[in-house]
Order: sequence, then C-alpha cells, then structure tokens
Amino acid sequence: MPSKKKEVLLRIEDLRIEGFSNETWIEIVHGVNLTLHRGEVLGLIGESGAGKSTIGLAAMGFARDGCRISGGSVEFDGMELTTTPQSALRALRGSRIAYVAQSAAASFNPAHKIIDQHTEAPLHYRIKKRLEAQEDAMELYERLRLPNPGEIGFRYPHQVSGGQLQRAMTAMAMACRPDLIIFDEPTTALDVTTQIEVLAAIRDIVEQFDTAAIYITHDLAVVAQMADKIKVLLKGHEVEEAATESMLDSPKEDYTKSLWAVRSFRREQKSPPGDDAVPVISVQGIDAAYGDAKVLEDVSFAVHAGMTVAVVGESGSGKSTAARCITGLLPPLTGQILFNGTPLPPRYRDRTKEQLRQAQMIYQMADTALNPKVRISDIIGRPAEFYGGLKGAKLKNRVDELLDLIELEPSKFYHRYPPELSGGQKQRIGIARALAAEPAFIICDEVTSALDQLVAEGILKLLDRLQDELNLAYMFITHDLATVRAIADHVVVMQKGRVVEQGPKTEMFTPPHHPYTDLLLSSVPEMDPNWLTTLLEERGVDNIGEAAKV
Amino acid sequence: MSYFVVGYYAMLIGASCLAAHFKQRSLFLLLFSLTLVSFVMGIIGGAPALWFVTVGAGLIALAAGTSYAFREFLVTIAPPETAKELRTAPLTAAFGLFVIFTCAIAMVFADLIAPYGEAEVISSAFAPPDENLLLGADQLGRDIFSRLIYGARNTVGLALAATALAFIMGALAGLYAATKGGMFDQAMGRIADIIMSVPSLIFALLMLSIFGTNLAILVIIVAIIYSPRVFRLTRAVAGNVVVMDYIEAAKLRGEGTWYLIRKEILPNSTAPLIAEFGLEFCFVFLLIAGLSFLGLGIQPPTADWGSMVRENATLISFGDITPLIPAGAIALLTVAVNFVVDWMLFRSSGLKE
Repeated sequence: MPSKKKEVLLRIEDLRIEGFSNETWIEIVHGVNLTLHRGEVLGLIGESGAGKSTIGLAAMGFARDGCRISGGSVEFDGMELTTTPQSALRALRGSRIAYVAQSAAASFNPAHKIIDQHTEAPLHYRIKKRLEAQEDAMELYERLRLPNPGEIGFRYPHQVSGGQLQRAMTAMAMACRPDLIIFDEPTTALDVTTQIEVLAAIRDIVEQFDTAAIYITHDLAVVAQMADKIKVLLKGHEVEEAATESMLDSPKEDYTKSLWAVRSFRREQKSPPGDDAVPVISVQGIDAAYGDAKVLEDVSFAVHAGMTVAVVGESGSGKSTAARCITGLLPPLTGQILFNGTPLPPRYRDRTKEQLRQAQMIYQMADTALNPKVRISDIIGRPAEFYGGLKGAKLKNRVDELLDLIELEPSKFYHRYPPELSGGQKQRIGIARALAAEPAFIICDEVTSALDQLVAEGILKLLDRLQDELNLAYMFITHDLATVRAIADHVVVMQKGRVVEQGPKTEMFTPPHHPYTDLLLSSVPEMDPNWLTTLLEERGVDNIGEAAKV
Repeated sequence: MSYFVVGYYAMLIGASCLAAHFKQRSLFLLLFSLTLVSFVMGIIGGAPALWFVTVGAGLIALAAGTSYAFREFLVTIAPPETAKELRTAPLTAAFGLFVIFTCAIAMVFADLIAPYGEAEVISSAFAPPDENLLLGADQLGRDIFSRLIYGARNTVGLALAATALAFIMGALAGLYAATKGGMFDQAMGRIADIIMSVPSLIFALLMLSIFGTNLAILVIIVAIIYSPRVFRLTRAVAGNVVVMDYIEAAKLRGEGTWYLIRKEILPNSTAPLIAEFGLEFCFVFLLIAGLSFLGLGIQPPTADWGSMVRENATLISFGDITPLIPAGAIALLTVAVNFVVDWMLFRSSGLKE
C-alpha cells in the first residue's frame, strides 16, 4: 500500500542458512532478500520445508539448533544482527522484535498465570512497573477482544480456549510495543470459526500500533487477508514477491500458479443410493460420554458402499468421538452401529476378527500413527499376515502390490523406516496399512490437515481413485470445508455432539443453511483480500466473538 | 634444585606459551593454572609433590591414549553402521568400553590368565609383591592377582545375572502394567512400592539370614530388590508409547497383548532401558560387594572383590595399599560402566550437557 512507504525497518540481503545433517552442513536457504518498512506486513508463504520459519527466525538474528546463518546480512533498524553479540540480541528480542509461535498451547508455560508471563518482558527490561504492566496487559486483552479482559490474565493457560490463548500470545508479543513481530503460522492449529477472531484481532492490533510484521503461513487465503505484500518461497529459494493484490490477480511464476490452482480439485457428487440399499455402516441414535461429560447426543447417519460421508464441525463437536464409537474404542451409552444391516458389538474386544477387518482407520498424524521402529514392509504386511494369513513370498507380493497402489515404488520403500519418509509419504503408508486389511469401510480422521496443500491434494486424489477401484465407503472427518467440497457425497454437520444438519453435498452448499452451517461456510477464508473486512462488516465488528460462538 | 624440577617448570611454561600462541584457550588455561598451582606445591611439598603431579598426568595421558587407540581399533573392526556411532563416542566412553572389555576377558579366560588357583595357599601371609606374586599375598598367603582375576568372574558374573533377572521381572511387569492398566497396574505398582519402602541392604540381610547364603538365593533376592526400579521406569516409558496412534491401530486390528508388547512397545522403549541396565548393574554390583564385605554374600574361599577388601582391611593400618587394590577394581569397573551409560543416555535422549 502506497501510504506505507516509510523508513526501512528490516533489510535482509542474500541470506544463506545452513543446516547440519549427516555430519555435513547443507545449505537450506539459498540467498533470500527481503525488505520490510515500518508498519508493513509481509506474508511468507510456501510448503513445509520451504524455509519460511527459518527465515522468520533469522530476522531475529536467531538460528535453530543445528542451523547456522552462513552468509548474507540481516539489518534491523540499522543494526547488523548476524554479527551482533548474543547479549545485545537478547536485549532486542521480546522488546523490539517479538515472536508468536504456531502452537500457543505449547509455548505458554503451563505452571504460570498468563498475565505473569505477559509482564515478564516489560519487567525484565524495566519498561514498566508490575501494576502498570498488568494494566497494560488488560488493555491489550480488551483490544484483542478477549472476554473478561480484567480477569482472563489471572487464569492458567489450560483454563482458556485455543483461540483465546493465541490472542493472549499476540498480546504478550505486544507487551513491549515491538517494532517487528514475527507470526509463525498463528492460526494453523485453530478452527475456521476461531481463526477469524484471531485474524481480525491480529490485523487490528498491528494496524493500531503501526507494527511491522512477518506473517508466515501456508494458507494463501489467510495471508491474503493479512499481508501488504507476499513473498513465495520454494525449497529455500525465493520464487516471487509482489503486493498482495497483484500477486493474487496475476501470479507470474508457474509454481505460484500451481499453489493458486490447488483448490480446484473437485469430484462430482455420486448419485445417492436407492432407498432399499443397505448401508455399509449405519449409526443409529448414538449417545456417548467420557465419564460424566456427555459428548454425543442422538447421532445418526449412514455410509453407503462407494460413497464418502464427510463429518464436519469445529474441534470439540464430537466428530472424532463418533469415529471412536464406530471403531468400538468408546462403547456408546445408547443406540447401535450396524454393519451391512447386522449390529456390531459395542466394544472392539468383543468383535470378531472379521468385523475388525472390515472397518479400518487412517489417522491425522501420520507421525504417531506409524511405529517409528518398524519397517514399512512390516507395517503394511502385518494386517495382510494377521487377517489373510499370508506368508513369505505371497506376503511380499501383497506388500509390493499395496505400495504400487499408493504410488510408492516398492523397491525403494520396502526396507525403510517411517522417520525416513516425508509427511505425505507417511500418510500414504497409513492408507496402505488400512487397505492391507481389505476393508469395506475406512474412517479418515483429518487425514490431510497436517499436510501441505499440494501433498494433501495428492492424498485426496489417491483416496478418490481407490474408492472407485475398490468400492470403499469413507467416513471423512474434517474441519476443512475445501476438502469437503472436493471429496464428499454426503455431508454431516456436527456441533456440540449433535448433528445439526445433514444431506447430499450439493444441497448442503446451497442456501438456505442451518445458522451453524452458515457460520462455518462463511468462515472459510477466501482469496479475496477484502474478504475479512467485508465479512466483519456483515457480522458487525464488535460481536465477532459472539458471532463465532452462536 | 634438581634437573627434574627445572625441566618440570620449563616444560609447563613452554607448553603454556605454545598453547597461547596457537589460541588453544582452554588448554592454555589448564596448563598455566597447573603451572601456578605447581609453584605453590613445589614450595610446600618439594620435588616429591611435583613427581606426584607428573605421575598423575602421565596416568591420565596413558588412559586417554589407550582409550583413543581402543576406539580406533573398534571403529576399524566394527561394521560400518556401528563404526559411525563409535566414531562419535567420547574418550570417556571408549575408556569405559576398554575397562569392560578387559574385565570380560578376565572373566572368560580366568583359568588361563591367573597364575595360581583362587584358593591356593602359596606363600606366607601378607607377603609383599615380588616377581612371582605381582600384587603380593593376602592374609592366608594366596596370590592377590589370581584372586582378583577369579573375583571378576564371580562378582561381575553374579551382578550380571542378578541385574538380568531384575530386568526380566521388572520390565515384563512394567510393560504389562502399562498395556493392561487398571487393577493389574495398581496391584503391581503397590507391590513395587512395598519392596522399595524397605531399605535394600536391610532387606537383603534379612532375607539372606532367613534363606541362607546360597548363590541362587542371593541372585534372586538382589533381583527382587532392584526390579521395582526397573518396573517404574519401564511403566513410565511404555506409558508414553501406549497412547500413540499406532498402538490404537494395532489394538483395533485385534492384536493380543503379547504382540503389542513385543513388536510395538518394546522397540520404542529399549534406549532408556539399556541405559538403566548399565546404572542398575553398578548398584547391584556394589550391593553384592557390600554384602560380601559384611560376610553374607559370596562365601570363602571363593574369591570376590568385596570380601577381598574385608579380609585385607587390617593391612590398611600398616600403610599398605593391598586392600585398596580390589576396592580400586570395584571403583574402576563402576566408573567405566557409568561412562558407557552416560554416552548411551546422551545418544538416546539427545541430551546436551
């Protein structure tokens, strides 16, 4: 934006960063240039491994363990950070440059109250007295539209919600009124509805205090709302940089265009099954609770062979709990689950091997879903061995066949261990493990939410192809409506343990909606840079907090 | 002033200057502070004190040299994967490996190495070292060196057996408790608490005086005393693994508990368990040596390091170092095992200092 042509705050030139692996230093950032003026917001975008966070940290003169800044210069307000001694850098961090991490829950110390952590920096730098700092914190909480600004700071981090914690962290970064804040994926772990609150809050406060910011994310639509200009990175190289609007309207490089095009994958909705068709899985009137806390109330839906049912809702809405009931990990209090018309025993321990084989699960975090100490061949081979009784050469053939099916070369992957694979490859192994059992029904629990968009699309296409080839029924748990649009046939919207609305995809995406569905749909960021502004105006800026809660 | 003293200071000062010249900061600080300390020591203790320092430094240098050479030796003979790990091993770990290796040789080939039998009386009581008796004779005229070699077999072998047994019991119970949870977990936990609440030496003394001092009973009692620690560690480590999604996936597949433990949980908990094995081995070793010293462990005339210390203890009042030799062997092996364990802990946890 032209009005922001002020003095240069941060100038990074030919920045090179090396990482230590396999006992040698390998360059991971190959000469990146960056200029940031006072009050300007720069969006850094790219897939994981592109070096976004590394560059963000380097802007503070910091390199992670096992990394080092090997060349180039980082000049912050006339100070060369790469040669500044550690003690001087420490004086800058927290006071003039602040950092907001991806997971606020992991970044707050659970043993101290929020406000005590907030006032730590101002007290340390002797900018304010304790009481002043606390009053200032409350004011910032109010500006960030946290509920009960006078009181919320005196809670412990686990006593507030994820979105509130992320805002509290932004407030904490603001405590010393820094010149520069680095936001490292601050909304990635949040629901769409919560994301809006945080985005709006961050944008407002950055504008109010005229703070410069580097906003790191992999979500284009989010960065479009926040940034004045956008820089696209690929594997440590700069692809292109431009002002937000021109970047969105006319990307120049092929890679940028491919990022923009990702969201185009969409599958036609299949024709609904006849009325007399028996669903593969039918969930009928399920209630479930963890201890005394009721989490599911009267949930019913059906999944037919060859179809995909998407279960949507924010976190805590009971999506995953419904999956746990189907798999038998959490026996429902009332109601039953039918498989091909026959009821399944509520506990997985009581189910037969055959019943267990028919329903498989693919997990969100491929990292924790694959045993790191077991070879790929054994991970995929075990279900085939366990259910099918395959041994020796037959087993090896089956594993090769499965690896082919998920488009990984058998000879290359057969003997490897999960930690040697990339996120997308791990998720494919998770899919292969589910397929190895030859199930009729697969639960996909947020399978793409931990992956980059390009990789996620590959996974979605793979799942789609497998469904056609093997006539599988999917229950697709997600909070990402773009994924739902891409792959679902039938959509179930859940809120607070209840199904608020369900129906075929085309019907669900055309008005009129249930108010909650409407809120979910309208909260999905769009590529339009004015989307957030327009949306906030529509909803009325002041009640954004309530709007998200309904 | 003797040539030795002049040479001593000349060497130190020269080395300090060289270190300073080549910008070896820490080495320079070490050498120069040694020089300054030597001035004081020279004034107070004279030439013998300086000899002492020289011999000490020489011994450390010798140990470092041995460790370095031994590490290179291991790197050369080990397969490529292991060699890569070994190359990163610190010198202390190499020293520990060397001592353990020597001890293992002594254990296996005791009959060939020892010049005399362990119970063979070959000279007068407390005979001083000579060509025949490398380290002198004990209170009955038996060769200390031979008894030291046989003692390695008895003491270390016994400690190894007891530790292994403690591990099998503790680890199995811990893994089952973590996997099963509920009543079994509670019951095992309380039993472990009860055993741990009794001081180990008193418990051992009590049990040994009830059941008699038989080797098998000794091993079992020591194993029972140490298994609760293993149980707690294993349960905690396995507890972290059990909540992972891959365990859930295996449970939903219908796998049995034994498969879960063997294939899914154990491979992910081995690193801390191995490190704990080294630590426990030291404790067990010291307990057995202690019991022998009290006369309740290994019975005479079988040689073991603990009872050797006790039998020769009277000599210490005559300024003889004989009783310190088996004690030194105990200390050396304990330190060696700890060096190796430290290295393993470092590798398994990625600890930095």
